[in-house]
Amino acid sequence: MSQETLRHNDCLNFVAVDVTKGICRRTNELVLIDSEVCDCFTPLPKCKNCAFFKEDGQETIGTCTAEKNQPWTYKDLIAVTCEMYATK
Amino acid sequence: MSEKSVGVQEVTRSLADILQEKGIPISFQYGKAPEEMVDREVKREPTPRAKKLRDLYFNTYSSVDLEFPYWYTRKYMELDNEVPIVRRALALKHAFSHLTPSIYPGELLVMGKAHYYRGSFPMPWLSESFYVAKEDELYQEALKRGSASSGELSKFGSGGGNVTKSFGNVVSIAGKFGIRSEEVPALIKLAKQWVGKSVEDLGHKYEMMVPEYELKEKLMRSLICMFDSGFTLPQGREVINYYYPLQYGFDGLIEICKQRKAEVAGKADGDGITGMDRLYYYDAVIHVIEGLQTWILNYAKEARRLAGITEDAVQKREYEEIAETLEWIAHYQPRTFREALQLTYTLHIAVLNEDAISGMSPGRLGQVLWPWYEQDTEAGRLTKEKTLELLECHRVKFTCIDCFASTGVVGGVLSGNTFNNLSMGGLTKDGDPASNDLEKLILESAMSLQSPQPTLSVLYDEKLPEDFLLKAIECVKTGTGYPAWMNNQIGIQFLLSQYGPEGMTLPEARAIAIGGCLETSPCTWHPLTLNGKKYWIPGGAGQPTSVGVHFIANPKILECVLFNGYDHRLKEQIFPPHNRKLETYEELWEVYKQYYEMAVDALCKCNNIQHDIWRKNNMTVINSFLKPDCLEKGRHIGQLGYRYNATFNVESCGTINMVNSLAALKKLVYEDKKYTLDQMREAILENFGFKTAHEVGSFSLFSQVKKVGGEKYDKIHSDCLLANKYGNDDPYVDGILREYEDWFCAMCHKFESLYGKPLYACQISVSTHGPQGAATLATPDGRLAGTTYADGSMSAYPGTDRNGPYALFNSATVWDHAKSQNSQMNLKIHPSAVKGIEGSRKLLELTRAYMRRGAFHIQYNIVDSKILKDAQAHPENYRDLLIRVAGFTQYWVELGKQIQDEVIARTEYEEV
Repeated sequence: MSQETLRHNDCLNFVAVDVTKGICRRTNELVLIDSEVCDCFTPLPKCKNCAFFKEDGQETIGTCTAEKNQPWTYKDLIAVTCEMYATK
Repeated sequence: MSEKSVGVQEVTRSLADILQEKGIPISFQYGKAPEEMVDREVKREPTPRAKKLRDLYFNTYSSVDLEFPYWYTRKYMELDNEVPIVRRALALKHAFSHLTPSIYPGELLVMGKAHYYRGSFPMPWLSESFYVAKEDELYQEALKRGSASSGELSKFGSGGGNVTKSFGNVVSIAGKFGIRSEEVPALIKLAKQWVGKSVEDLGHKYEMMVPEYELKEKLMRSLICMFDSGFTLPQGREVINYYYPLQYGFDGLIEICKQRKAEVAGKADGDGITGMDRLYYYDAVIHVIEGLQTWILNYAKEARRLAGITEDAVQKREYEEIAETLEWIAHYQPRTFREALQLTYTLHIAVLNEDAISGMSPGRLGQVLWPWYEQDTEAGRLTKEKTLELLECHRVKFTCIDCFASTGVVGGVLSGNTFNNLSMGGLTKDGDPASNDLEKLILESAMSLQSPQPTLSVLYDEKLPEDFLLKAIECVKTGTGYPAWMNNQIGIQFLLSQYGPEGMTLPEARAIAIGGCLETSPCTWHPLTLNGKKYWIPGGAGQPTSVGVHFIANPKILECVLFNGYDHRLKEQIFPPHNRKLETYEELWEVYKQYYEMAVDALCKCNNIQHDIWRKNNMTVINSFLKPDCLEKGRHIGQLGYRYNATFNVESCGTINMVNSLAALKKLVYEDKKYTLDQMREAILENFGFKTAHEVGSFSLFSQVKKVGGEKYDKIHSDCLLANKYGNDDPYVDGILREYEDWFCAMCHKFESLYGKPLYACQISVSTHGPQGAATLATPDGRLAGTTYADGSMSAYPGTDRNGPYALFNSATVWDHAKSQNSQMNLKIHPSAVKGIEGSRKLLELTRAYMRRGAFHIQYNIVDSKILKDAQAHPENYRDLLIRVAGFTQYWVELGKQIQDEVIARTEYEEV
């Protein structure tokens, strides 16, 4: 479950169709999520890219420090609608 | 003869071969089919746009993400001690506000349950035990997936869009849904937050206090009962109501709620129990509406973003139009047909995201949208071609709806279907034919864009015009299995009888529509004003009908009667031993009724507790502002805010096998005394000398294989098969059906739902005739162990209706169908039997004949069985093949083998 490699579902130019693939907005072609990304990669707001995300030693889970009660969150949660999101 | 070698000299034979040898007149066909494979006669092509979107669906897995449950749980857990309905509303608002908007190229209608094309999500606040129990398994699978080879990345499993097993970085949940492996730890963490708090856990805590709880658990284990509706599917099989937002717009509704808040704050108004709750109700409704507005506007924002980065001028303009549509409907009454269609679809998804729901039907959508269609076409703003394209897009969006529930429910009961049934025809409030031109276009779009959702139903009434009915017949001939045909007048009679005590009148009953497969649902009329013109539009006004005691396996109860309450499959005593000798048929029947009532009593009490827990903490807020008369009363569903509340029912399955079995016992054991009851019991336990269905790998009776040395039971089996069978206009067996129906329909009224209303009979099988058949030993009608029951409630057992459709109709209508919420008849007809316009007229006349006999429902599979056999052998060639199962149409490749076998085995009528 390594998060090191960039995936297509980390890119703002990608819209997910299902758990394996999606459509690249630039080419309008179907691409696999886990295939190699291109040079036009643009980071999608996700918790793991947020300045308020704090690692807590678990592989995919962390803490959201934007809120007082510091709820848990997970790295791959898409945050395009999160009003507290701040790019790292 | 097909032969299968076992060992060196042992040879086993299939039942079909044995019957042929013995000249026993049971076959899959009535009449003679052409030798060659015959395709369906009517075929249409969708518009390129809709075809592209549907093709994308064909290439899409059922996918799960956690956005909704994450944001819901985060807020809910933060609001400890808040008033329950406000807490729930704020959690819903938080969830809707944070969903990621996904818009796909070419879409005209947008939005979805989740951010995947065919997305859904778990609701651990209803049930979390599956994930907690599977924690290790899911974790291990996720870890393994993390190191999966790249070769697995593009692997597509069988079963259409079902993720039948894990692959690549995808973990299969329940053999149906796929989740990204990196999200699995979050799924487990979420589930654990609901341990002890979910409807399942709290319901379980209190249902154990029911004295009959142990019996209830045994009934579930034995599969005499199929599922607990309280925490699996607490809502559904009902008709939605789109009226209020269509009339007032969301801003208007917020204003109404604010006004009502001010009127009721601090006042009980004579109601010392719930009077004060009205304030919290209106406050909650405002919160959820605000959440829905944010959700819609997030999509509008995304459409604007896409318009900004898209170079293609046509696509750019389409994104802008999407944004304009959403920005308007987030606040106001729709101005155009497209806006109204988008709003109704958005509301539909909103309701489905609030709860695990199967069978939320759009109702008479063609009549609801008529005002906009009429005004747009009159003004020249809308063409038929554009309407068709929009309706096809609507079909794709509805087909993308998935329902995430437990394995047994999604697979065993629903076959992955979501039962969004769109009703057409019927009568207006004043008793005139209600069909219109838009409904004809809905039929057209269903012919050109063939897909399971929304499925269609015609509310057949003698007053409906011939051209509309023939259009519906033409649609049937495409082989999609829809529209189904429901008898409007019989449905109205049922509604008046069941909901009369709650004030239903005849004009109100005429608003009838079908919820789910074929659940007659209480509806109402509302006056809608558009540009100064008033229209009466229909919409749902009742609670879910997916609730109550679901489903009782009638043949399995008979099995328990024969074996003194003991289940030989589980090797467990289910019912208390009756210790009766069963010396007469009357005694047998008496014990059958006693066991049945005992089962319903235990199941009803436990079910009431589950639903009571649901209404206390998980009440619907969205449906509780859409349906009358919640907004007027200031009460939600759990406080009898809806107009009609007597919707809980008892669902049965396997009626025809039970009736045929009673006939065989009556004749062979009690009247002719050809066999003793013990001989019959022995033959049943020995499966009449046959292997089990699981050993054979087929669940159709005629594919079953004799064990070596099984000839000992040939005679008794042959006699059982030849005993009187339902479906042949035979008074002997039809009299048993009549006696059963008279008893069953009345018996259900003895039991009461948590809302203090009487239960009633519901007689559909959905897909439960597969798994419940698999759990049942051989039956005295000659059916073998583990094989599927007859489908529906009025369909004959495959191969046993030998005297043509009219004899079958006579058998089916010996009882009064208006005493039940429904009945269900599936007929499989070879395409050559209804060819051409003459064939269409014949099919309409056949339908009419059945309706005129007082039947409630019929539906057709117009298909050559040879195609189905080929599709079973070569599923890769049949991704788009649709088939009618029970009350729903599904892609063949997404059906389980039990159901595929059963559909193949149904009697094929070569002439009508």
